[in-house]
Amino acid sequence: MAHSTTMAGAHAATGVASAEQYNYEIIKKFAIMALIWGVLGMSVGTYIAAQLAFPFLNFDIAEISFGRFRPVHTTLVIFGFGGNALFATSYYVVQRTCQARLYSDSLATFTFWGWNISIALGVVTYMLGYTQGREYAEFVWPIDILIAVTWVVYFWVFLQTLLRRSQPHIYVANWFYMAFILATALLHIFNNLQVPVSLFSLESYSLFSGVQDAMTQWWYGHNAVGFFLTAAFLGMMYYFVPKQAGRPIYSYRLSIIHFWALVFLYMWVGAHHLHWTALPDWVSTLAATFSILLLLPSWGGMINGIMTLSGAWDKLRTDPIMLFLITALSFYGMSTFEGPMMSLKSVNALSHYTDWTVGHVHSGALGWVAMISFGSLYHLIPRLWNTKLYSLKLVYVHFFLATIGIVLYITAMWVAGIGQGLMLRAFDEYGNLAYTFVESVVFLHKPYVVRMIGGMFFVSGIVIMAYNIFMTITAARREAARAEAKIAAKMAGAAS
Amino acid sequence: MLDLWYWFTDMSNSKVVALLLFFSLYIGILIYLFGSKKRSKRLESYRLMPLDDDDEPANSDNGKKR
Amino acid sequence: MKHETVETNAGLLIILTLAVISVGGLVEIVPLFYINDTIEDVEGVRPYTPLEQRGRDIYVREGCYTCHSQMIRPFRDEMLRYGHYSLAAESQFDHPFQWGSKRTGPDLARVGGKYSNEWQVQHLIDPRSVVPESIMPGYPWLIENDLKYSDIQARLRALRRVGVPYSLNDEEYQANVERFGEETARWLDINRAEENLVAQARAGNYDGNPSRITEMDALVAYLQVLGTMVDFTQYDDGYFVQFR
Repeated sequence: MAHSTTMAGAHAATGVASAEQYNYEIIKKFAIMALIWGVLGMSVGTYIAAQLAFPFLNFDIAEISFGRFRPVHTTLVIFGFGGNALFATSYYVVQRTCQARLYSDSLATFTFWGWNISIALGVVTYMLGYTQGREYAEFVWPIDILIAVTWVVYFWVFLQTLLRRSQPHIYVANWFYMAFILATALLHIFNNLQVPVSLFSLESYSLFSGVQDAMTQWWYGHNAVGFFLTAAFLGMMYYFVPKQAGRPIYSYRLSIIHFWALVFLYMWVGAHHLHWTALPDWVSTLAATFSILLLLPSWGGMINGIMTLSGAWDKLRTDPIMLFLITALSFYGMSTFEGPMMSLKSVNALSHYTDWTVGHVHSGALGWVAMISFGSLYHLIPRLWNTKLYSLKLVYVHFFLATIGIVLYITAMWVAGIGQGLMLRAFDEYGNLAYTFVESVVFLHKPYVVRMIGGMFFVSGIVIMAYNIFMTITAARREAARAEAKIAAKMAGAAS
Repeated sequence: MLDLWYWFTDMSNSKVVALLLFFSLYIGILIYLFGSKKRSKRLESYRLMPLDDDDEPANSDNGKKR
Repeated sequence: MKHETVETNAGLLIILTLAVISVGGLVEIVPLFYINDTIEDVEGVRPYTPLEQRGRDIYVREGCYTCHSQMIRPFRDEMLRYGHYSLAAESQFDHPFQWGSKRTGPDLARVGGKYSNEWQVQHLIDPRSVVPESIMPGYPWLIENDLKYSDIQARLRALRRVGVPYSLNDEEYQANVERFGEETARWLDINRAEENLVAQARAGNYDGNPSRITEMDALVAYLQVLGTMVDFTQYDDGYFVQFR
């Protein structure tokens, strides 16, 4: 990385002004890490999917047994891939829309190392058996502290950049990024209140217990979805969809409603993960009600994004990056419809604890989060390295592999979840349970194999993307070096 | 008038009160946003913001040129 | 106020956003700590013994919650399959809660006493030797690893700090005698944690090998106590409905 910094410096004379005007080096680092964690995390995901279909793949090895490997997958894809993509795009968007250079290069670099070291340490500690046992918040307490510090610095860098803006207005994408930063800080701190066993122990016990602990965890869990995986990626959408389309967002007024309604409503809905449990009924009723209301801003946002293309639909035929972005919005619409439906208590009675939930998460995570990130990164990376994509054809290939993968995944999980839900509540003519639990496990084998194949499709897609990006960057470097050599030669010629 | 006040402060009516409060706030925002043509026009002018920074020709997947 | 005021002022934007996102969490979480009905008034639920708690630590470590829930819902099929629906009181000493969110395997909230120790050990070492269709990973290392319990007092002290009534001094001990009875109070004495742990492992002989205390001893001890603390024959069918 240091190498390319000097290169960019020498290059400025020949016309790359942006490297001076904006801090692109930090964005490059985050973008590359997003891809590295993405390939790793999705591969681990496919592997644990395979473990469920073929349990011998656990090999009786503690470090890779399903229970320890699953947090590795979720952490790598959510915080590794998703988190780095968000750092990269938020630093890019805030600079571009404020037309100001990012505040403090060194603090920005600190966020890079703080974040990525946390993820690497997290993964290693999970495999060694250190975990808080809270879904999506498995990091042990010292890593929690490192993340909290990193996050505060991130907030500070983002805020200071906003304050440096040469534009009077703060663009809507930045509102979403800001809400994501604030909410994530709040959630992370309150959900990780722990008392360590001792100062030198990685283990700790949560401050709350039972019902209160469950409510805090799912308030965190669902808002990690709401703010980390939704609001922030909407920030991405509000910048990259208009940019790639070359047209302004469909309606600015709609985006105002979208923003305030979304940030208000999301915080209420976490308890729909706890329907029919020992949580008091009024909380889950409230959560279900707000989940239904949430459909409105979600779809408002989707319409706002998709309609940006109105009058220019032909771009979908010629631009594979646009295809990624618009498909992402379609999956966003689909999973934000499925979600409120599953939060109805009667549907939830069937769907909860089954693979339907897993399928729902992945229609959001693969369809929305990953697709919008792929599209944004394809837009972003050529601009960062001041070059063109190595191959647009490979972008098409990636798109179709990803889409086929998602469709296989979701349909397999619908079959698995609804099927298992129905089997477990079936009674025979005498009023006895019709199936034992393990009979439903047998039924799950085929959907699990299909899901694994879907995962393989998706992973091959991101591997192709990584190759495409690698070739793009290599070519850009080669060209930069050539230009540099030319200048050097000219200067040598002038000197002699 | 006082009765109305008591009704509002009665905790057992909190659901209805919250509903009224949030719903009227929501309607208020809608009216604010879509009510006046002039204001609509002004607000919509901000959507061009991300395209303003263009130091590249639109529709090109090419890098910056400045 | 114009929306432009918010859009052009980062500080105001932050304050308003914080205010708007705080409402939901405050309304839903804060009352849970103050409303008495949140946790039922029920007899028998006690903190885990030192050995059981170590077993629970291993349950968390291996990520059992990724496939097993500990929360039976009030449905006819679940009550036939697993037993009485779970009460909030039953997880009041669980730090962290392990209700889970996915049943790749069956619910474990009342697995205690359903299978013999021998079955549990064999099943954990090689699940498919007992249930051929199972897709559970094997955990053979549990019977090979000696249980580490040198830090058991530190663990119980940490749990005491978050509100679990383990006793550190005479006063707390007496309070436990009053609340749980003499016998249970003795198990909850932090000063006797190590001898209690060893005694329970020796007497219970959960892993079938009395000469060693393994991680298997602890995990099986934990599994065998799950859901057994409340004696449901003592209560009317309708008793718990008032708390829902």
